[in-house]
Amino acid sequence: MNAVGRSIWRIGWPVTDKDRAAAMISSIFLHIHPARVSRHVLRPTATLALGLISGILFLVLSVTGLALMLYYVPYPPESYRSMKDLQFVVTFGIVLRNMHRWSGHAMVAVVFLHMCRVFWTGSYKAPREFNWVVGVTLLILTLALSFTGYLLPWDQLAYWAITVGTNIAGYAPLVGDRLKFLMLGGHVIGPMTLLRFYVLHCVMLPLLMLMLISLHVWRVRKDGLSGAEVHALPAPAEEAAGVFPASTKTHGLMALSRRPRSSVEARDPNDEVFAWPHLLFRELLVTLAVVVVLHVVSLVFMAPLEEMADPLRTPNPAKAPWYFLGLQELVHYSALVGGVIVPTLIVAALVSLPYIDRRKTGIGRWFAPERRLANTVFTALVIISIALTIIGTLFRGPNWAWVWPWA
Amino acid sequence: MTEDRIDLLRRRIFGIGCVGIGAATAGFLAATFRFLVPNVLYEPSRRFDIGSPAQFPSGSATFLPDRHLYVFNSADGFFAISSTCTHLGCTVRHTGAGFECPCHGSRFDENGLVVQGPAPQPLAWYAVSLSPRAQLIVDLDQSVGPEFRLRA
Repeated sequence: MNAVGRSIWRIGWPVTDKDRAAAMISSIFLHIHPARVSRHVLRPTATLALGLISGILFLVLSVTGLALMLYYVPYPPESYRSMKDLQFVVTFGIVLRNMHRWSGHAMVAVVFLHMCRVFWTGSYKAPREFNWVVGVTLLILTLALSFTGYLLPWDQLAYWAITVGTNIAGYAPLVGDRLKFLMLGGHVIGPMTLLRFYVLHCVMLPLLMLMLISLHVWRVRKDGLSGAEVHALPAPAEEAAGVFPASTKTHGLMALSRRPRSSVEARDPNDEVFAWPHLLFRELLVTLAVVVVLHVVSLVFMAPLEEMADPLRTPNPAKAPWYFLGLQELVHYSALVGGVIVPTLIVAALVSLPYIDRRKTGIGRWFAPERRLANTVFTALVIISIALTIIGTLFRGPNWAWVWPWA
Repeated sequence: MTEDRIDLLRRRIFGIGCVGIGAATAGFLAATFRFLVPNVLYEPSRRFDIGSPAQFPSGSATFLPDRHLYVFNSADGFFAISSTCTHLGCTVRHTGAGFECPCHGSRFDENGLVVQGPAPQPLAWYAVSLSPRAQLIVDLDQSVGPEFRLRA
């Protein structure tokens, strides 16, 4: 390798294990991986790669979103016309738009499944409690990003979904009306609302998300994946006695802190393989699969674009985006329960979960028998929310009356 | 002054400085939050002219779609009821017996009171007045009760 190449990559194409380890830690992009990784967390069933897929989708959404911004005008009715242009005039515009839309929907689903995986493997327990809270915030941010993006096409679907959605927000006690006014930038959905949603969708929320993803991934890197510690060696005798030899201490940001259990000394070398190629090539494979699936879906299925938003004509039924249809189904029974009490309780329960369930058993295994109660309750809630979403999506027709989807 | 007293003074000045920076930051954040609340709305006016009383025959119910409003001319006077469902903001339809929301099946009686469905509140009633030029004026910022009638 010549001098210029070495000034960029430091290490050439690594041939030996030593160089492969050095490559992982000398690159800013690769060093979110450890140099060596437990064989157990590499099995596809350990994580189902759902966190990785969420990250890939965020990347795809950023790239396609930036491209779409070059044609999209955030001012009605030009916004609707620019959507039509993307669909019929711009070369490959329809593919990029489809990919952005389906990736957005997929990200909501994958982030939700990722949360389910972390629960079912008990991975939110110490020392990962706070990272679970960061993850819950990321789920909320994902929903907020999808919701703000929903208005941008400015068609009937967008307008009325956001009408229903922002009215649900208006049910918040005390601040509801003011919150809605602030979201809409007025009393009704208009150009001001579109601009606000546009800026939130394209700048503020993605920036916040990028920061939180960095924090989330950094903490995963520091704490290790939860499957690994099951196979870790027992702590050295001095540590068990409360004496920490210098080699187990590390300099944290705030103070000298104890090195995490998954540090090099605490791990079983026979359990580990080098991240390059074992982890890296698996990641590339998953990335490839996701990109292929997204391309096929985007070429086959068209993103919906209805007629231009018409504030005078309410479609029947008017539905929120699909991931809020479970809430809308509840709102159909009681606005206060579905719009305020249930969402607040869900978020409060999710955030406080790792601080309530402090038992250290059943970490890193799917459906550990010690966690039968927690898993049963959580699974029941997941099934109820999926059932409500399916009912709201497929079984509700005009006047929100029950219909059979095949009828 | 001794070394210690200078040190103490320096810490005190530093403390005051920190409080000052904190207050300035809080003020700046408050100002930014206030900035988010628009002062001028480029929306249809909340108080508007809907025409002369003669345009509304007695006993009629007129739907003004762009105003989201039903205007009634009953035996004892004029009144206006919002067509925006209090549940999630869909536009209700006037039927013989009252109002129906297409979105979530709420039903209201002829006075806009909830008969059935998830709507938490009756439909809004707005004050109707007569301008000096004998035009009917509706004010969306002035809610009234279902006993309201404008005698024309």
